[in-house]
Amino acid sequence: MMSFWPSRWCSAASAAPAKAESRQDAGVLTVDLLVQQQNFRLQLNEQIPLQGVTALFGRSGCGKTTLLRAIAGLDHHPTARIHFAEQPWQTADTFMPVHQRRIGMVFQESSLLPHLNVQQNLLFGYQRRVSRLQVQLQPANVIDLLELDPLLTQAPGQLSGGQRQRVALGRALLSQPQLLLLDEPLASLDQQSRQEILPFLQKVARELNMPMLLVSHQLEDVVKLADHLLLLQDGRVISRGPLAQQLLQPEFAACGAMSVLTAVYQGCQHFMLQLTVGGQLLQVPAPVSSPTANGSYRLRILARDVALSLKPLAGSSVTNQLAVTIIAIQAAAHPAEVLVQLEVAGQPLQALLTRQSAQRLALTPGQALYAQIKAVALD
Amino acid sequence: MLNLAPEDWLAIQVTLKLCFYTTLILLLIGTPLAFWLAQAQSRWRTAIQALVALPLVLPPTVLGFYLLLLLGPHGAIGSTLEALGLRHLAFSFSGILIGSVIYSLPFTVQPLLEAFRRMGQRPLEVAATLGANQWDQFFNVVLPLCRGGFVVAATLTFAHTLGEFGVILMLGGSIPGETQVLSVLIYDHTEAMNYSQAHQLSLGLLVTAFVVLFIVYGLNRRLEREVSL
Repeated sequence: MMSFWPSRWCSAASAAPAKAESRQDAGVLTVDLLVQQQNFRLQLNEQIPLQGVTALFGRSGCGKTTLLRAIAGLDHHPTARIHFAEQPWQTADTFMPVHQRRIGMVFQESSLLPHLNVQQNLLFGYQRRVSRLQVQLQPANVIDLLELDPLLTQAPGQLSGGQRQRVALGRALLSQPQLLLLDEPLASLDQQSRQEILPFLQKVARELNMPMLLVSHQLEDVVKLADHLLLLQDGRVISRGPLAQQLLQPEFAACGAMSVLTAVYQGCQHFMLQLTVGGQLLQVPAPVSSPTANGSYRLRILARDVALSLKPLAGSSVTNQLAVTIIAIQAAAHPAEVLVQLEVAGQPLQALLTRQSAQRLALTPGQALYAQIKAVALD
Repeated sequence: MLNLAPEDWLAIQVTLKLCFYTTLILLLIGTPLAFWLAQAQSRWRTAIQALVALPLVLPPTVLGFYLLLLLGPHGAIGSTLEALGLRHLAFSFSGILIGSVIYSLPFTVQPLLEAFRRMGQRPLEVAATLGANQWDQFFNVVLPLCRGGFVVAATLTFAHTLGEFGVILMLGGSIPGETQVLSVLIYDHTEAMNYSQAHQLSLGLLVTAFVVLFIVYGLNRRLEREVSL
């Protein structure tokens, strides 16, 4: 049986106290599912933390969407058992209909009701829940958050793909959900529209503290949004846990190994953010668009952009240097390369080196050395 | 120009009444039936669909014949009614109404089925996740999105009932004020060599049918353009 996952911003090493807390606060979504169709079988028994963003990641056809639809109640699989925290959504003899489950769903393609304009679409769910529930999200707040004001009187047909998904997201939020289900919300969009809507999803994830399940087959989206990850393959969950740890899975090495570091804000000097990871300083160009803020930042670092040296490097253009420890050395996708698993203050970091370099430096697990980080992407 | 006898007016009255009730009843029955056909995975689906389409290919006389047997004084339904102290349904307005409902069923179900299929499941799933129950979904999603389908279904049903002949003649005969509809009266006029009367009514029906269909298809095209925008 799997363990509960650490809370959002805790590194694995210091997560223990926060873990017990988060379990009480948010609860878990328990899914026991067996779907058997021709040529397809989905079987899992999982407890998904109802906190932060959990990505259901895997190739097309691995069962991600089937799982999401079962959780929503859109498909009725008689043997499924689904509990949302204390609420039974599906048991041996009960099945809560979709409209009674408090979920917000964003579908893959545009799902705006074509006979209603943007404002009417936004309020469709809100009006049906506002009388019965204590409203937490007001239309004005959501319209503000997602910058929907200029679109309100337009018909769905007049909107671009990215705008439609933004409205669909706002509509889902206004139905006052306890759980947000996103079924490949970016898959039908071109690159530009994706960039247009990703920041809004990040905003929602960060500011609204609403548990989200994100179905995706794009590692890029998952890395930007998810806190936890469930890796599906051929109808089974092959691995689950906090994102940073999951990125070490060999399945990800093939699509470009990377790491996610959580860094703490210390200040900003000369347009450079001063961040620390376990007390070690990292400097990153401050984002131009958004003002800097206290708290945590998520740094994405490609394994390709990490170099290793036995001694601290002086006289180099690379400013960011961290003392790290080698955990393991693995084969990489290319036969001439190896993937070095490192640890910095309890957080995993990966470096992609040539086999030759690894041999020249005589790298062994347990060895302490220095990692130079050439490029960092900030979320 | 119009020179209609009282019996002609009576037939027009019976015809309109029959068309109106048939359309009303068929919309009530046909909507859930078409909805079920649009999404059912059941193995009964094909059988039901074939049954619904049967009046399209069957000679009206066959339908009328079996209904006459069933609803008449010796049929299962007719004799039950008699036993309950009611009248059997052959040669009555209620009888031809039942016949019309069965006969025009495909003309209600087909356009609705097509409209529901074109709409797909997604709008209903969306509405459900937003807290709308089945009735809510029907009135606020299905009805507005399938408006065109409902208009076409209602009109085709009305127009098709207007032109019904064989079933009514078999089942209802030609009782003025009860079962004598326009098509049957035209037949009677023709039999009696009363050509000018037959001509008036026939031309009237022809023009009415054309105008009704013309208006409906025009309306439907406009509705579709609105929704697809």
